[in-house]
Amino acid sequence: MGCRIVLGMGPSEDRSDVGRQLLSVVVDDDESVRESLPDLLREFGFAARAFSSAKDFLASGCVDETRCLILDVAMPGMSGPELQQELKSRGQRIPIIFITGQRDEAIRARVLKQGAAGFLFKPFSDSDLLAAIKTAMQNA
Amino acid sequence: MTNFVSAGLVAVLQPRPPDMNARVEDSAQEIKRLQRCINDLVSLLALPAIWSSEPSEMVALLLEALLRTVSLDFAWARLTDPVSETVIEILRPSESRQLKPIPKEIGEVVGDWLKRREVGSQLPPKIQLGSENLSIFPVPLGVEGEIGIIVVASERPDFPTQIENLLLSVATNQASIGLREAALLREQKRIANELDRRVAERTAELAATNEELRLEIVERKLAEERLRQEEQELKRSESHKATILDSSPDCVVAMDHEGCITEFNPAAERTFGHRRKDVLGRRLADVIIPPSLREKHHTGFARYLTTGKSTILARRQEMTALCADGREIPVELTITRIPQDGPLAFTGHIRDITERKRSEDALRSAHAQVVQSEEQWRSVFENSAVGVALADLNGRLIAANPVFQKMLGYTEDELQQLSFIDITHEDHIEENRSLIGELLGGKFRQFQIEKQYRRKDGQPVWARNNVSVVPGTDRMPRFLMALSEDITQHKLSEEALGKARAELAKVANITSLGVLTAAIAHEVNQPLSGIITNAGTCMRMLSADPPNLEGARETVRRTIRDGNRASDVIMRLRKLYSKKEPSPEPMDLNEATREVTALSLTDIQRSGAILRHDLADDLPPVIGDRVQLQQVILNLLRNGADAMSTIDDRPRELLVRTERHEQSQVRLSVKDSGVGFTPQTAEKIFEAFYTTKRDGMGIGLSISRSIIEAHQGRIWAIPNDGPGATFSFAIPCNPIA
Repeated sequence: MGCRIVLGMGPSEDRSDVGRQLLSVVVDDDESVRESLPDLLREFGFAARAFSSAKDFLASGCVDETRCLILDVAMPGMSGPELQQELKSRGQRIPIIFITGQRDEAIRARVLKQGAAGFLFKPFSDSDLLAAIKTAMQNA
Repeated sequence: MTNFVSAGLVAVLQPRPPDMNARVEDSAQEIKRLQRCINDLVSLLALPAIWSSEPSEMVALLLEALLRTVSLDFAWARLTDPVSETVIEILRPSESRQLKPIPKEIGEVVGDWLKRREVGSQLPPKIQLGSENLSIFPVPLGVEGEIGIIVVASERPDFPTQIENLLLSVATNQASIGLREAALLREQKRIANELDRRVAERTAELAATNEELRLEIVERKLAEERLRQEEQELKRSESHKATILDSSPDCVVAMDHEGCITEFNPAAERTFGHRRKDVLGRRLADVIIPPSLREKHHTGFARYLTTGKSTILARRQEMTALCADGREIPVELTITRIPQDGPLAFTGHIRDITERKRSEDALRSAHAQVVQSEEQWRSVFENSAVGVALADLNGRLIAANPVFQKMLGYTEDELQQLSFIDITHEDHIEENRSLIGELLGGKFRQFQIEKQYRRKDGQPVWARNNVSVVPGTDRMPRFLMALSEDITQHKLSEEALGKARAELAKVANITSLGVLTAAIAHEVNQPLSGIITNAGTCMRMLSADPPNLEGARETVRRTIRDGNRASDVIMRLRKLYSKKEPSPEPMDLNEATREVTALSLTDIQRSGAILRHDLADDLPPVIGDRVQLQQVILNLLRNGADAMSTIDDRPRELLVRTERHEQSQVRLSVKDSGVGFTPQTAEKIFEAFYTTKRDGMGIGLSISRSIIEAHQGRIWAIPNDGPGATFSFAIPCNPIA
């Protein structure tokens, strides 16, 4: 199935160019996150897709095209850090920005050590997310 | 000799018968002849002067003188050498005549003639020598010819004339004399020599004999000396033995084969009160043996004499003996046979043991006292309510009573192989050691220490010890004593108390409001995140040119929805954690359960667990405080989820079940498939501050227990048959139902 399905409102000159229509993916079991984040990402100029589990994402066929991954930490089944490991073992060097509602410094330190590009505690502002994405894309 | 000579001379000088003419001539010749004769005689008489003592020499000289004085054909002599007793034959032939026959022949012929003459035949003095006839004239040497014989010979028929006869006789006489004298002299010498020799011999013999005698005397003297010494030695030894016997403190009594006393030493005199001279010869049995034992003695003695067997010989016995004053005293007695030839004899060594017996008794009773005292103290040691341990100055354990043994988990034998250090917990070794050092140094008489021992099984045990030094005696060096009280429980409660205080302090900082805040934060974070994200998106959409109004509207809708959601959560949580007084009311446990599970479903799912219900349909109502009971259910759900948080090799399942329980109660169970717990911790789980969670406070279950107990119910936990555990509580039904 093709991954160039662009959801959303159509091109806008005022849109940020960060995304350049590159594919960003949100993986989170939280429905409201899956609802709200892709819109914001499109405002950043990305093409955006959302999956409710790591398994779904891996099976989607979008992995190779994904230029940025917004990943929840705590999920049923494969957790965020586990997906990070999986992608690493597949040789996928997708910049990952972890998001989490739990204040656990240990996990933050761990995933950063494992090569995560960013880590944000919920709730985070849209500018925080943008900054993290910019950093991630620059370093990629 | 002179007479003979004179006679001869006279014979010679007698005038001759008439023949006058011839007489004048003859006279002149006669005178010459006579002169010659006298000269010859003189020279013959002078012979001895030149003679030596050697007979053969003498005879040879004689023969030569004869040849000179008388006209001869030869002169021959045979004589026996008195010394060597050999026969010597000497021949002197005339120089004017050459005799053809050799000397040996002459000797033989002459010898033969002599032999014949000796035999007795009257032979004319003539011999035949070769072809010549000679007249011979034998002249004996010695008075009877014992020395030898001289034979002179001449061819003249008228040989020998008167004068020649005379001369010959004289000469031979002289020779005889000389020979005899020589012989005598020789004999004398010989005898003198012999005498000398004999004397010397004798002297030597005497000297030797003297020497022998002297040596003999010396030896005898030595032997005498030795003998004397031995006698002295013997005397000394005898007197020594006598002294021993005399001075022996033991009674020594000897008796013969009839049992009569043959010896009674001074000690025996003193002990039994008899004088030696009074008892010698009397029967031992009558003197010393008490009347009651005499029979036995006699039979025993008789038996020995006949069979050679005895029960008492050479064996130390104790018996009673009789003294002169009638007292009977206890004695120790040994009887031995005296080894000697002849009749049997015996020695008895007897010792008065009255004193010994007395001190033995005293000792025995003292000993009994000591033993009793020892037993008392031993009993104290064994039965003391506190542990008692004794150690030497190096800390090596000497003894430990049962309480101490039990406290440490070692037997006394095992403890005796160890020192204080071995059984003391590492943390306390230094302090303990230094205190003991100061104690031994005399800094104080005793010290108290709270320390940990390490038991045989490795478990630590707390003890309060009073340690002191027990001073030494002559027989025993000083040692350490510790009275040891097990304060493990005490310590644990102290610790628990301390911990509880700390926790309480911690908890005091966290009010229920704090808990509430945490809970809210947790539950509300989601809708809040959504709101912020959507709001941010909304702003961007509105800032776009042209503004994305449709999109913005959507985001606003979501925002409102999330805001409401958050509000709901807060309300519910507040209701759950409010500090209202418990207000029991009839309620349906199932309904309360569903509310709780709805609230925590997301949480549970997030942790990767599946939550299932198994709620009984016909569950009777209960009387209870809804909020409080929901708190308990929530707590159990949270715990179950947490117990499964580390499980990844099996499904994480939470099962909530409600059912009737024992007629009048209702039971709710939460079963998880988590890590479970051990039976040992089953009780502890519900205690305050017990937690296995890193950040847990361990209050949940203890509060749950208080709530359930306030509802007259019971809460418990059981490990599952499979993995995990099941927590349950049961509360009474509403009596109306």
